[in-house]
Amino acid sequence: MPGQRWYTPYLFALPALALFGVFFVWPALTAIQLSFMEYDVVSPPEFVGLDNFVKMVGDSTFWTATLNSVLFLIGLFPLLVVAPLLLAVLVNQKLPGIRTFRMLYYLPVVTSMVAVAVAWEYVFHQQGVLNWILTGAGLLDQPIQYLLDPFWALPALILVEGWKSMGFYMMIYLAGLQTIDSSLYEAARVDGASAWQRLWRITVPLMIPYIAVAITMEMLDAMQAFTSVYVMTRGGPQDATLTLGYYIWSAGFEHYAMGYASAVGLVLWVVMIAMAMLNYRITKGRS
Amino acid sequence: MRRAGMYVLLTAIALVFVGPFLILLSAGLKPSGQAVFSFPPDIIPRPPVLDWVKEAWTAIPYPRYLLNSVIYVGATVPFYVLVSALCAYPLARLRFRGRNLIFLAILSTMFLPGEVMLIPRFLVVSQLGMADTFAGVILPGLLSAFGIFLLRQTFAGVPREIVDAARTDGCHELRIFWHVMLPAARPTLAILGIFGFISVWNSFIWPLVVLKDSAKYPIALGIAYLAGITGTDVRTLAAGTIISIIPVVVVFMIMQRHVLEGMRGAVKG
Repeated sequence: MPGQRWYTPYLFALPALALFGVFFVWPALTAIQLSFMEYDVVSPPEFVGLDNFVKMVGDSTFWTATLNSVLFLIGLFPLLVVAPLLLAVLVNQKLPGIRTFRMLYYLPVVTSMVAVAVAWEYVFHQQGVLNWILTGAGLLDQPIQYLLDPFWALPALILVEGWKSMGFYMMIYLAGLQTIDSSLYEAARVDGASAWQRLWRITVPLMIPYIAVAITMEMLDAMQAFTSVYVMTRGGPQDATLTLGYYIWSAGFEHYAMGYASAVGLVLWVVMIAMAMLNYRITKGRS
Repeated sequence: MRRAGMYVLLTAIALVFVGPFLILLSAGLKPSGQAVFSFPPDIIPRPPVLDWVKEAWTAIPYPRYLLNSVIYVGATVPFYVLVSALCAYPLARLRFRGRNLIFLAILSTMFLPGEVMLIPRFLVVSQLGMADTFAGVILPGLLSAFGIFLLRQTFAGVPREIVDAARTDGCHELRIFWHVMLPAARPTLAILGIFGFISVWNSFIWPLVVLKDSAKYPIALGIAYLAGITGTDVRTLAAGTIISIIPVVVVFMIMQRHVLEGMRGAVKG
């Protein structure tokens, strides 16, 4: 091939490969190494073998964080895997102005989590809209301070995270819906299938690959919940909203237990890879 | 009739997604005599005032943070697009050893949770002497698996004849890349530019970890800082937050078709 020497492709890829080496491979190796060390940033790292992992087993705060992250994972499932599919079906209709609605549903996706968290603090206020609606509808006797309540703080954060990303998942599903041949629906309608039956019998089975993508991303999102926690609750009240993501940050940058924080991160990483693979297996088997 | 019901439903859902921003906007524009919170909610400011915008502007070094965000966007977006394009071109069009390995390695970074990399990446950046610097914030953001993935798709779709014609004219690969591939990929480049702008403008965790000096904060960190100052008035915080999202919302509104199309393209691949 004229003009191409053997090294030409590598030269093109060089900037990306250099960044990959410095900001992914090197840190990943550092993370593995640090997991077996004690390091407080001030004194040099010290090899401690499996101590960090042993400590983790007996660390009740770690288990609280794990439980909260699992609750995040469960709580986000209806918000990010189920509801966006219904939204996508809704905005997949051919109606004038439907693009505007898609855009409005997508708006929280493009705004920063910080701004979203601040906005929801106003919604959650004791005298705020949510309390007004719920007390007005007779669902609550007393206004609640959601973010200060050990029971309600976590559901409130899950709601905010779900609300922010719902539009994103909706667009994933919308892309999938637009690949479905509309004659399938016509045929089903002729056979007298109800809208619900069409959803269950046609849409859902054909959307399995997209649902798999949504589930994988939902797991990544749930396990990484951080900014909402940082801005709205700082893990409180009484560790009620302490997630693994926040715990890693707090152990590393508030308590300077870099080794321990890395070990927790490593465990999270392994668990996430395992979950992604499991999800891949299950959905592969189904489709 | 069914159609009217559909619009009522669509509008009600739209209100759920836009409502919290409207509440924020209303709080930021209300005069001091009007309660921010009340049962029932009193949303319309009477009259709207800009006092709190001015207050937010000076309560924190607001213009400075906006400028910082502009710098972060300006220094990240063009280079991340270029790095992605350079890497995507051989992956899409040239045959060489290790091509699949390189592509898989880069794709694998998508599945690396950001929080897990936070500490080790901070330590690496510190070792490179880039802690608390603009470079430390910017450089790790230049590698984008999403960008490489999307451009690889686009380049692979450029008709062979155009490239072959350029080759027989004696163009070397860099010229083909610059004069044939990049112009052909313009829509994808635009999408990546918009996505890059949104993500850098909103970036929070990484700058939080890298930066000590608050004078280098991007606007999202500035808002968190404003929210964290005890005694910040709820109206000031609302006004400050609203200004911070205006640039991104405006860009999104103008480019919404590209953003949503781009997402669809990414998913289909």
